[in-house]
Amino acid sequence: MDNRIQELLKEKRGALIEPEVMEILSEYAITVPRSSVVKDLEGARKAAAAMGYPVVLKVVSRDILHKSEAGGVAVDLGDGAELEDAWNEMRSRLKERAPSADIEGFLVEEMVPRGVEVIVGALRDEQFGPAVMFGSGGTAVELFKDVSFRLAPVDREEALEMMRECRGYPLLTGFRGAQPCDVETVADVITKLSIIMCELDRLKELEINPLVAYPDGVVAVDARATLVGGE
Amino acid sequence: MESSLDPFFNPRSIAVVGASAVPGKLSRIIMESLDRSGFAGEVYPVNPKYSEVMGRRCYPDIGSIGECVDLAVFAVPASAAVRLMKEASGRVRGAIVISGGFSETGREGRAAEEELKRAAKEGGVRVIGPNCMGIYDTVSSVDTLFVPEDRVRRPPKGSIAVLSQSGSFALTAMDELAVESIGVSRVVSYGNKIDVSEADCLEFLADDDATRAVVLYIEGINDGRRFVEAAKRCSEKKTLMALKVGRHGAGKRAASSHTGAIAGRYELYRAAFKKASIIELSGYEDIIDGCRALAANDPVDGRRVMIVTDGGGMGVGIADACSEVGLVVVPLPEEKKEVLRPVFPGYFTVNNPLDLTGSVTDEWFEKALSVALDGDDYDLAIVAALWGPPHLTDRLPERLAGAARSSGKPVIVCSPGGEYTRKRRALFEEAGLAVFSTPESAVRAASILLARGVQR
Repeated sequence: MDNRIQELLKEKRGALIEPEVMEILSEYAITVPRSSVVKDLEGARKAAAAMGYPVVLKVVSRDILHKSEAGGVAVDLGDGAELEDAWNEMRSRLKERAPSADIEGFLVEEMVPRGVEVIVGALRDEQFGPAVMFGSGGTAVELFKDVSFRLAPVDREEALEMMRECRGYPLLTGFRGAQPCDVETVADVITKLSIIMCELDRLKELEINPLVAYPDGVVAVDARATLVGGE
Repeated sequence: MESSLDPFFNPRSIAVVGASAVPGKLSRIIMESLDRSGFAGEVYPVNPKYSEVMGRRCYPDIGSIGECVDLAVFAVPASAAVRLMKEASGRVRGAIVISGGFSETGREGRAAEEELKRAAKEGGVRVIGPNCMGIYDTVSSVDTLFVPEDRVRRPPKGSIAVLSQSGSFALTAMDELAVESIGVSRVVSYGNKIDVSEADCLEFLADDDATRAVVLYIEGINDGRRFVEAAKRCSEKKTLMALKVGRHGAGKRAASSHTGAIAGRYELYRAAFKKASIIELSGYEDIIDGCRALAANDPVDGRRVMIVTDGGGMGVGIADACSEVGLVVVPLPEEKKEVLRPVFPGYFTVNNPLDLTGSVTDEWFEKALSVALDGDDYDLAIVAALWGPPHLTDRLPERLAGAARSSGKPVIVCSPGGEYTRKRRALFEEAGLAVFSTPESAVRAASILLARGVQR
């Protein structure tokens, strides 16, 4: 394992910020959106122009684990004017809803196309050690609980089996005439997440939600992680 | 093979510590159980109050036995257990501590349990319990259960092992298995498991030739990873089934992710079962059904099922239930239809499910089953035998069993009905067939037989 990541985790407490989680995922060759962290509107404009509109704007703060609820996410910003509006709105919303949060910056991220949203998560259990979860249903996952767990590490076969156990699996294989998604790569992400949990023992929870699946690959659009002994 | 659990599963001598001469006392019942089970080694009652118990010389303390005892059963109050465990040091290889009053009772009990654990460890004594029933073992003929045999029957010798955290559960299951003559190899009630755990037992059973299948009743596992490793090794050679109780207890973790919020304790147990190829059971009925199915059949790798019945409606109902558990009701191949058509009246629809109608005879049932199971078209069969049709005789079960034996494939019998039917259950059991009284339980049993093959 990359020492840099181990070092990074050693000095952290509580939760990681999204760019840190994305760095870990990239290190394990999980595709993440192109992004850059900016400090001000000027930086945001430059970053957006460089990667091309539309973009997503997200707040970066260790104190804000649920970014959407705090008003810290704006999607599908089509040009510079929309970006500026979103920037100003976000700043005032955050002042209102998360006044004490220490804001480290903002993330300008490419807006990925629509695909099939799934969730791939992992946690460390006190009795059974690291485990991974696959789930369908995107944001409604806690409602429908269409999920499947395995103890880590899992191999490709187990990962595919986990996916097939979910009722929502047909959404990935071409439901109602849609093009089938790249289930092999989804399985690959499940496997990798299970390996990350085994290798990085400071991680307590790690979750990609959503992981967007396409006919030719996947993108980890949003991710979060918490650390052991960080509460 | 030598195992550190040999004192429990292959003892040459047993001491009953606290043995009483008073009929009805638990320690006295344990003496009776050991007598009845036909244990061939030495049995030493230990109790300073008596010089003789049930015709055997009684020793005042463990030390005065004069030889190292393989197994000591402690049937003494919790307050005396620690002192006696210290006395057992170097004189006893394994101890079953029946006594309750330890960690299950609260803080003081936990402290006493720690002390007991320390004494055993320092003295080099392996321990099952405390707060347990101990062992019923048909291989070594050991029975340490403190319940009278006329209240709770003991099953005959067989190939199913039962590991249970709960003593009362182990007893109840044994009693039910005994009624149907379903045999067991070794039953262990391990209670608070201060030393020997389910993982230790699974390690032993993995290499135990007498055991073909293991049923686990789990309340909680302490070392999850070790359990999974032991179970994985065991399930490479045996069928493992487990019921985990306390699924909906307070297991909520402080979570900041969806994964953490959804993952209750039971999800993790389930993940562990899958990892170790353990068949997950959903309740008490599943355990009895699973034992019944596995006592008479080997697990199967395929899921193609043939349904033969003399009740059309019952056949359809079974086919529905099959689809729900992943069994595939494959249509009867054309060649087989041609073989079977001349056997039956012309108005028959020969297919799967195969309805032999009210005109059915023993021969038809036997013929249909053996033709269907011949070759590689099906992996198993469910026979729904309704006793209404007047031509059926009491020889039917034996004939079905004959067809099942020569096919070498599992055959599950479903025989629902009232008085006449219920009296004939024993005929199927005597013929060596697993018989169930509802379509649902028959199909569930079939699904347990294939769960192992399908998980892999």
